Amino acid sequence: MRPTGTAEQTAAAPKPAVPPGKRRGRETALGRRTLLLFGGPFAVLFAAMYVAPLLYATVSSLFVVKRSGLGLAPPTREFEPLHNFAQAFGDHDFLAGLARVGLFAVVQVPLMLGLALGLALLLDSRSARAKGFFRLGAFLPYAIPGVSAALVWSFMYSSESSPINHLLEPLGVHIPFFANGAVLWSVANIVTWSWTGYNMIIIYSALQTIPAEVLEAAKMDGASALRTAWSVKIPAVRGSLVLTTVFSIIGSAQLFNEPAVLQPISSGAISSTFTPIMSAQAAVAAGNYPYAAAQSVVLALAVGVLSFVFFKLTSRGENA
Amino acid sequence: MKASRTRTAGTAAIAALALALTGCSSTEGDSGTGSQELTFWGWSPGYADAVKAFNKSHPDIKVTYQEVQPGAKGGYQKMLNAVQAGNAPCLAQVGYETLSSFAAQGALQDVREHAEGEASDFQPAAWQSVQLGDAVYGAPVDTGPMALFYNKKVYDSLGLKPPATWDEYQEQAERIHASDPDRYISSPYLNYDYAGLSWQTGASWFGVKGDSWKVDLASEANQKVAAYWQGLVDGGLISGAPMYDQAWYAGLGSGNIATVVGAVWQAGVIKGGVKDGAGDWAVAPMPQWKAGEKAVGNAGGSATAVLKGCKPTEAAWTFAHWLSTDRTTYGDLVTKASLYPAAVGLLDLPQLQVKDPYFGGQPIYDVFADAAAEVTPGWTWGPIMTKTTTDLDDALGKAWAGKGSLKDALVTTRSKTVAELKNQGLKVAE
Repeated sequence: MRPTGTAEQTAAAPKPAVPPGKRRGRETALGRRTLLLFGGPFAVLFAAMYVAPLLYATVSSLFVVKRSGLGLAPPTREFEPLHNFAQAFGDHDFLAGLARVGLFAVVQVPLMLGLALGLALLLDSRSARAKGFFRLGAFLPYAIPGVSAALVWSFMYSSESSPINHLLEPLGVHIPFFANGAVLWSVANIVTWSWTGYNMIIIYSALQTIPAEVLEAAKMDGASALRTAWSVKIPAVRGSLVLTTVFSIIGSAQLFNEPAVLQPISSGAISSTFTPIMSAQAAVAAGNYPYAAAQSVVLALAVGVLSFVFFKLTSRGENA
Repeated sequence: MKASRTRTAGTAAIAALALALTGCSSTEGDSGTGSQELTFWGWSPGYADAVKAFNKSHPDIKVTYQEVQPGAKGGYQKMLNAVQAGNAPCLAQVGYETLSSFAAQGALQDVREHAEGEASDFQPAAWQSVQLGDAVYGAPVDTGPMALFYNKKVYDSLGLKPPATWDEYQEQAERIHASDPDRYISSPYLNYDYAGLSWQTGASWFGVKGDSWKVDLASEANQKVAAYWQGLVDGGLISGAPMYDQAWYAGLGSGNIATVVGAVWQAGVIKGGVKDGAGDWAVAPMPQWKAGEKAVGNAGGSATAVLKGCKPTEAAWTFAHWLSTDRTTYGDLVTKASLYPAAVGLLDLPQLQVKDPYFGGQPIYDVFADAAAEVTPGWTWGPIMTKTTTDLDDALGKAWAGKGSLKDALVTTRSKTVAELKNQGLKVAE
């Protein structure tokens, strides 16, 4: 459904303006109550589920678990604000995990979003047939919970039972899904499979909002479908692309489900500290909550800075 | 105006938080009416019915059973979190290998005063498992004496007899693989299954010396075990199917994985997971390092542990002791969960005399009864087992796949464990 534009806009425009001053008192009181009514639940949940844990993690990352002797007495916590962070930046496994998800984001995000954009443009093109079917088909993997999807893929990758390698066998091809150099891309494949459709839907709905007359004008000017896509459609969905990129960067940083499910069958290629979150999880398992908190804070800061820089960079381009 | 609005929202948030917090916490203890109430967290099949039977026969104590995820799959984390939050249950199912880690986090309650007099009800090795220093942290429920599960059909077809020694086992590994390139003698062993192999030699991973920990993961005896299995890996004689994976069950069923060196409860795992192997499997004593020896390892086994903050400790001990020693109840646990009793008085249970048609009518518990008496004493678990086994599995996983060596896996894990112990301020004896 593409909005037909001008007719509705003009109809909505002449709204009787309320004379300023006359009803202000009543309106602000009402407004305040409404604000509280609608904003309150959000504020409470936001504070309880987001701000409080964040503060809690930050505060506990400043302490150190201390035991003595055999450690059979309950451990004590001492305030040593830099200890855990120093440990994190000296922790080879944790840093390798950060670098790994960094590399993952640099390669996988553009690939996935390129694919999503391509699919969205194809769906949006005038000659597309059976749009509903393809839209649903591309979106379907997203509807499968991440862990279930990873389980299915772990079967496809398994060195013992892989049907992919079984099919390729007559051709003499064997894909080593869990070789050291390949394993990150085996994970990337699952993530791409799961999330391309989701991103495609966001981009596709942005394409739907391009006014018909703009496309009409491009057609009148003799622009080919490719030219229209490149010069009209893609610039128009720029906002969605920025949004999906930021989501995907955050998603990459939080990589956990897929590698955690593949770990037991990876013959050691996926370690317990494969990604930063897995590393923090391992610290929790070791009973070192403050160190896990410190790792989480480092990760959160890295993602925050990265998203901020990306937003800044892209919005500067917009103003120019 | 603005300030007051913020304050209202703030108050609301605090009220909501307070509500949520009080909703979570529960106080454990005597209700004042004479009957004592306590909660028990566990996951073994059959525990729920056992608790029902206990409540019926003990009107003065009321136990509430709550099923949690098996320990390593989240149950232990939940228990530790509950202890931290101050709303832990009185009793919990905790594996022996995890008890010292729980103790090191201050999560356990010493019940020596109630338990001491009943120590002789349990096998010495099991009793040793619930003790650390002078404290007793609960009642041992079951043990995991090991044996060799072998596919008799495969063995018969090749004219093989179950191996008496590890040297014979290696020869058989070669013959089995030579008979069919898809056929292997075994899958790789990780964490506590691997520990059982070391246990047999009298090696321990940890030890206590005064008030310091000894980390013996890379000791000579441990390296001997590593070198032996390294030989099998280098010969390409170990399957790539990870234990407990679908591929492992399939391999056990088809005969492509011919043996499992495992604890008594492995009988339940194989029987439940490998339906098409019915009648093919049999149990023999664990192969020995020297012919004529009788040393056995142990893998698994758990205790009913008393968690920190428990007030009615005497009632808690009463239940824990009853669960481990009541004949009727334990008989059901043998059938439902393949538990092997830690209590000396239960070794003659009729449920342990059955001739299981799955194992070709062999009375398999006879093998484990002999094994239980021969479990090598002196094994000690460390204070951060989850961390140690995670690091070990990272390295062992690679080594079994032919990347790196089993010996290096032990050395790496040892140095990581020592570093973490020191980092937390624990004393380590070099």
